[in-house]
Amino acid sequence: MSNIFDLVKRYPWLPSLKKYSYIDSKDDPYEYLLELFSKYPNGEIQERVFKFFRAAFENIEYLSGHKNDDLNIYLYLILRILLYILDNKPISNRIANLYSKITNNELLKEADATVYEICQDLNLKIKYYQPPINYGINISKDQKQILETNFRIHYADYLKLAANLRDEYRKLVNNALSEGYVFIQKRSLIRLIQEYVRRKFLNNEDDEGKSSNKFKKNLLKIQEFKEIYDNILSHWELKKEEFEYNFEISFKKGSNISKDFPPCIKDILLKAEEGQNLTHIERLFITFFLNALDYPEDEIINVFSTMPDFDKKKTEYQINFAKRKGYIPHSCATLKSLNLCMAVKYNDQICLEGYFSKKLDTKKTLAHPLFYIQLKQYRGSKKIKKLED
Amino acid sequence: MSEKNYLKRVFQAYYKEKREEIPIITKLEKREFGFIPWDKEIMNRHICFKFTEDLKQYLINESPKHVYSSGASYLQPDNLDMDKKGYQGCDLIIDIDVDHFYTPCKDVHDTWYCKECGKTGKGIVKKCTKCNSIKTKSLSWICEDCLKIAKNEVFKLINNFLVPDFGIKDKEIKIAFSGHRGYHLKIENKKIRTLLSEERREIADYLTGENISFEILGLRQDRSNILGLLKENIGWSQKIIKKIEEILTTYTNQEIELLLLRYGLNRNIVKSFINSKRDFQQIISNSKQNIWNLEGFGIKTWEKFLFGIVDDIGAEIDGPVTIDIHRLIRYPGSLHGKTGFKTQEINHDELDDFNPLNENNERLDPIVFKSKENIHKLQIIEHDVPETRIKGKKYGPYKKGDIIEVPHHIAVFLLCREVAKLS
Repeated sequence: MSNIFDLVKRYPWLPSLKKYSYIDSKDDPYEYLLELFSKYPNGEIQERVFKFFRAAFENIEYLSGHKNDDLNIYLYLILRILLYILDNKPISNRIANLYSKITNNELLKEADATVYEICQDLNLKIKYYQPPINYGINISKDQKQILETNFRIHYADYLKLAANLRDEYRKLVNNALSEGYVFIQKRSLIRLIQEYVRRKFLNNEDDEGKSSNKFKKNLLKIQEFKEIYDNILSHWELKKEEFEYNFEISFKKGSNISKDFPPCIKDILLKAEEGQNLTHIERLFITFFLNALDYPEDEIINVFSTMPDFDKKKTEYQINFAKRKGYIPHSCATLKSLNLCMAVKYNDQICLEGYFSKKLDTKKTLAHPLFYIQLKQYRGSKKIKKLED
Repeated sequence: MSEKNYLKRVFQAYYKEKREEIPIITKLEKREFGFIPWDKEIMNRHICFKFTEDLKQYLINESPKHVYSSGASYLQPDNLDMDKKGYQGCDLIIDIDVDHFYTPCKDVHDTWYCKECGKTGKGIVKKCTKCNSIKTKSLSWICEDCLKIAKNEVFKLINNFLVPDFGIKDKEIKIAFSGHRGYHLKIENKKIRTLLSEERREIADYLTGENISFEILGLRQDRSNILGLLKENIGWSQKIIKKIEEILTTYTNQEIELLLLRYGLNRNIVKSFINSKRDFQQIISNSKQNIWNLEGFGIKTWEKFLFGIVDDIGAEIDGPVTIDIHRLIRYPGSLHGKTGFKTQEINHDELDDFNPLNENNERLDPIVFKSKENIHKLQIIEHDVPETRIKGKKYGPYKKGDIIEVPHHIAVFLLCREVAKLS
C-alpha cells in the first residue's frame, strides 16, 4: 500500500490533493502564486512549466527527467491556471494530451495494488482481485491462454470513461460483463484513467466560460508568472506558423462545399480545429471522406496539423495509402454504431428526418454522409434555378 | 356530442373517482410533464407540479388524451429552454413495444387498405399488393399473443441481461404495461442516473447485440482454419454458444432448417449444418478447441449465422427511448388515449400471471371501464376492424357501416382507436 501523500505527489490530479492544502478554493490565486514563486526563487518553476509547454508544442509524448516531487504538484496547479487564462483550446488540448500520456506511462510502472488505490481515490467503483480471476480463454495457433485480470470496473464508470474513446474493442457489447462489472486488464484500466486526466485539464473551460480579464490581469502582475505566460504565447505564435495552421476546407473544383458537410464531419473538423486529439476511427473517417471528395493532399494534411501528435510525413503516407486502397467513408449506420453520428447534437433535419424522394413518393432516411452533400448541393442548385427563373 | 368530448368526459370521471389511487412517482416535483389534449395532436410539455395534489387536480380538470412525465429530473422542469432546465440525471428507460418488431399474429389482426385502388389485406405491407401504390393506410391491432410476446421480451431483458450482466436489483426495476402494445421499464439507480446519451447507447447496444464484433469475440480465419467463439468467455460469447447449444440439443432438424433459412443461409449450407450437427455440438462444448470448419461455411457465412443467433438472443427494445435522456414516458396510472386502458405498474413477481386483456386481479387490471349493463350503440367507420378479444369475449370483426352494440369498455376502446363513432 502506498502512502496517499506520495501518490498525490506523483499524481496531483487525484481528488485527495485537497486533503493536503496545496491550494484551497478560498485561496486567492494571486497570493498563492506570489508565495510559490518566492518559495522557489531560482527559476525552477518557470523552467519546468516551460519545458512542459515546449514538449507539448513539439509533439513530444514524454518528458525526460520527470520528477515526482513537491514541485510536481505545483506544476500541475500552475498548468491548470495557465490553461484557464490562456483560454486557447488547441493549447489546452496539447497540454491535456501530453500530461495524460505521461500519466499513462507512469501508471504502467505502478503495482496493481497502487492502481487500485488510485481508482478508489478517483471514486471509481472497482473490484480488485489478488490472485487474479479468470474470465475466459483465448486459443490461437494451438496455444491456450487463460484470460485473467485483477480488476473489474462498474459498467457505469467504465462507460463514462470509455464511451468517448470510440474503439470497437472498448464497446460494452464486446466486453466481458457480469454482475454489473466489466472485467478489465490493467493496461486498459490505466487507459481509462488517462482519459480521466485528459478531461480534467479540459474541464477548466467549463468552469466559467471565458476566463475573466480581471483575474488574468491580476495574475500577470506577478513578474515570474508573466514571464511564463509571455514565453508560452510567443512560442505558440511561432509554432502556429510552422504548422501553416490553416483550417479552411474550401476545395472542390474551385467551390467551397464545406457548408454542405454533414454534422458528423463538421463535428470532427471542429474538434480538429480546437486541437483535440482525434480518435483513430475519427481520423480514418475524415481521411476517407475528404479523399472521396478528391480533396488535395495538402488540404487533408492541414486538418491533422493541429493534432497533438501531428507528424507531416506519417500523415502524408497514410492519406496516400488510404487513397490508393480506395477506402470509402463509413455509412450512417456504422457511424451511429461508433457514436460518431451527430444528427441529434446538431439537430440536423436532413439526417434526422430524411428526405422526400419524388420517385418513390415517400420519405427516405439518409444512408451515407456523402449523399448528404449531394442532397444539399441538389437543393442548392434548385434554389439558384428558382432565383434565376 | 363528439367522440372526443365523450372520451374526455369518461376519462375525467375516471380520474375523479380514482383520485386517491393515482400513483406518485419519485422526484415528482423535479420531473417535466407533457400532455396531449383531445382537441389537437400536439404535446404541451415543460409543465411541472410542486405537489401531488396539483397533478391530480390537473388530470381531473384537463383529462388529457395522453399523460407523460420525464425520466429525467431537473432543477427547473418548467423552463422552456432544455439547456436551462438544470438537468440532474435520468432514470434508465427501456421501451418494449410490439410496434417495433414482427410478431406472427400481426399477419392475422393487422389490416391495411389502399387509398388508390381500394384493395384491402392483412398483415403489414409497404405498398399495395394490387396497384403497387404506397398510399396505403394500415391498422395495427392487439391480441393476447402479441402482448405475451412483449411480456416474454421483458422477462428476457430482466433475466438474461439486467440482473445477471448489469447487476441491477429487482427492487430498482419498475415495470409498467403501457396501456397499449407493450411495456416500459424504468430503472432507478443512482449510478445509472448519471449516464449521458452516448453511454446509454452502449447499454442499448449491449441489450440488443447491435454493433457486436464477432472478430473481437474471436471469430477469425487462421490459415485454413476458422476459429470460433468460446463458451468460457464471459459476456456475449457465452450467450451465443449457449443459444447454439440449445438449438442443437432441443430443435428438430426441421426446426433448425427453418431457423437457418430465416437467418438468410442458403439451402445447401443449411443441409451441411444439419449433417455436421453432432460434430459441431462436440466442438462448441469442448473448451480446448475452437476450430469451426464446417463444409460450406466461410467467415461471411458464420457471421450471417451468428448475426441471426444474436438477433434471437437480444431483447427487442426501442433503442432511441433508452438513449434519449429528455424523453417523456407514459405516466403510471394514467389512461392511454388510444385504448382507454390504464398504464399499469406490475411487480416482477406478478408479471408471469399478468394478462392485460383478461386480468383477474382487480388491482392490476388495466381495463378500467368494465360494465355489463352499460351498452353503447356505435357505428363502424373504418374499412376492416379486426376481431378484438377482451375479458375472454370476442368482438368483431366489423366492416365499415356496421351498427354494433357493445359494453362500455369495448365502446371506449373502439372510440379511442378511432374506428367507430357514437351512433
